[in-house]
Amino acid sequence: METFAMIDFVSLLTMFFSLGTVYGATGAVLLVFGVMAWCDRGRRHRLASGSFWIILGLIFILGGVLPHWVTGLLVILMVVIDGATRTTGAGLPRGAEVAEPVRSETFLRPGARIFWPVLTIPIVTIIIALLFRRAGLDPNRGALVGLGFGGVVAMFVAICLTRGTLRELMSEGRRLNEAMGAVNILPQLLASLGVIFTAARVGDLIAAGIEQIVPGNQLFLLVLANCLGMALFTMVMGNSFAAFPVIASGVLVPLLIRPFGADPALAAIVTLTAGSSGTLMTPMAANFNIVPSALLNLRDQYGVIRFQLPFALAIWSFHVFWLWFMIRHG
Amino acid sequence: MVQDLLRLSGVVLVLGGLIFRWRTTVVVLAAALVTGLFAGMPLFSAEGIWQNLPGPDWIVKSGQPGIINLLGKSFADNRLMTLFILTLPAIGLAERYGLQEEAGRLIRRIRVATVGRLLIVYQAFRILHGALGIRLNGHPSFVRPLVYPMAVGAHAEAPSEEADQQIRAATAAAENYGNFYGQNLSPVQAGVLLVFGVMQGLGVKVSVWDLVRHTLPIVIAAVVFATFQFLWLDRQLRRGRGGR
Repeated sequence: METFAMIDFVSLLTMFFSLGTVYGATGAVLLVFGVMAWCDRGRRHRLASGSFWIILGLIFILGGVLPHWVTGLLVILMVVIDGATRTTGAGLPRGAEVAEPVRSETFLRPGARIFWPVLTIPIVTIIIALLFRRAGLDPNRGALVGLGFGGVVAMFVAICLTRGTLRELMSEGRRLNEAMGAVNILPQLLASLGVIFTAARVGDLIAAGIEQIVPGNQLFLLVLANCLGMALFTMVMGNSFAAFPVIASGVLVPLLIRPFGADPALAAIVTLTAGSSGTLMTPMAANFNIVPSALLNLRDQYGVIRFQLPFALAIWSFHVFWLWFMIRHG
Repeated sequence: MVQDLLRLSGVVLVLGGLIFRWRTTVVVLAAALVTGLFAGMPLFSAEGIWQNLPGPDWIVKSGQPGIINLLGKSFADNRLMTLFILTLPAIGLAERYGLQEEAGRLIRRIRVATVGRLLIVYQAFRILHGALGIRLNGHPSFVRPLVYPMAVGAHAEAPSEEADQQIRAATAAAENYGNFYGQNLSPVQAGVLLVFGVMQGLGVKVSVWDLVRHTLPIVIAAVVFATFQFLWLDRQLRRGRGGR
């Protein structure tokens, strides 16, 4: 009897606390953003911009049931809208570009309690992740479902705390969302690019090229090629997220993880941040290195990069050493 | 051989496109299509309504997955990377009611004697943000309006032109150091989710929690190196003052 109740509890938990639920909720929020953009008479290209978010919302809600080719065509349509009108936010990832918010002076200020909604998100994430773990479910999924529910709970907390309206809530969300714009879908697009590179065996090609230069059993040289490739690609593209799928499919997986049995989580995250070291050294990452120079009125527009250079070289070298050491002795 | 080189055209396209600052989404999509087509993949898989369609090989080829099918499947599979949109309304509303001012008040409470030590504390503050999964662009919201004036204040006297320039660059760097390495301490931040999704697409299963765990040594190294650099900056600033 007790086991039965336990199973029932778990199946209920998995049904409600599922990725499907949070994808649906995200889709609903996106539909609201889209309709608000459609109705926003002051906005240039409001039809195009609204449609972009509505299509994304539909993909979120229906992504699990639509035939893949339909989803694929919808993605192409989104990119065409973004490319043709350039209305959906700025170019490269800039993190949440904080537009100046409209601040109301007539309301009671919540003071330091204003952190509550923001802190709700990680707290709920952790609680749900722990519940998943306790129930023997996939803890990866737990973190993601927790993030989704954290966002929803935070909305309630924010409304209760500020006594703001639902409309205010959504238009503030829309402000942040549109400030980022099409950059929001970039990780998803880049992951898809990685999948197509794999299907087209581009990774094998790069791996074969590197194997011609570096003999297959030289662990240190392969680690060096991996970290150097990642840093250089990042410096040229100004974006470690774009470099990662290329390096992962061409070097990391075929030359380090498969043959040497390197811990994939360790090798992958170290490779990503080897790219971050590249980001510190390149003017291509303008929003991190050049824009701040302007913001701070530096005489030398490369002043930030110049300051970061010794740090970046040191931490990059540490990446090479650490990855080599952990594969060798780990 | 030529076929092989053509297959690399996608990589070249991504490189070139981002160098010339073309629209990033367009570059990435074009690279995917071009690479797939040069590798001889059809646009659509031969299934559903595409099953018995007559037409050239590059549109439908039986037995080969279509580029657009792969694109759609992987985009749908990786929706997890964009879940953070659900957190935007709450954060936006909190900002409207003074989140940034309160955060600023918190930063201003930091009482430290030197520029270097202030930046060490600020970097830790940014790492904490990252670990909590909070995304923010600190240059306009914190560095320019708060950290830089505080750094100048921490310098005992009005800094020389040279010293002032160095302090400015260092404050921007502290933001980047904390942001880049700290954000991977959260299992739901963009970097970790990108790695998780890409590795899954390559057929290698990793756990987001393991990714976070293995970030820790890197973050510690970043803090140690940055601490050295910021204390070194203090030393230089002291010397500069003595020498004048």
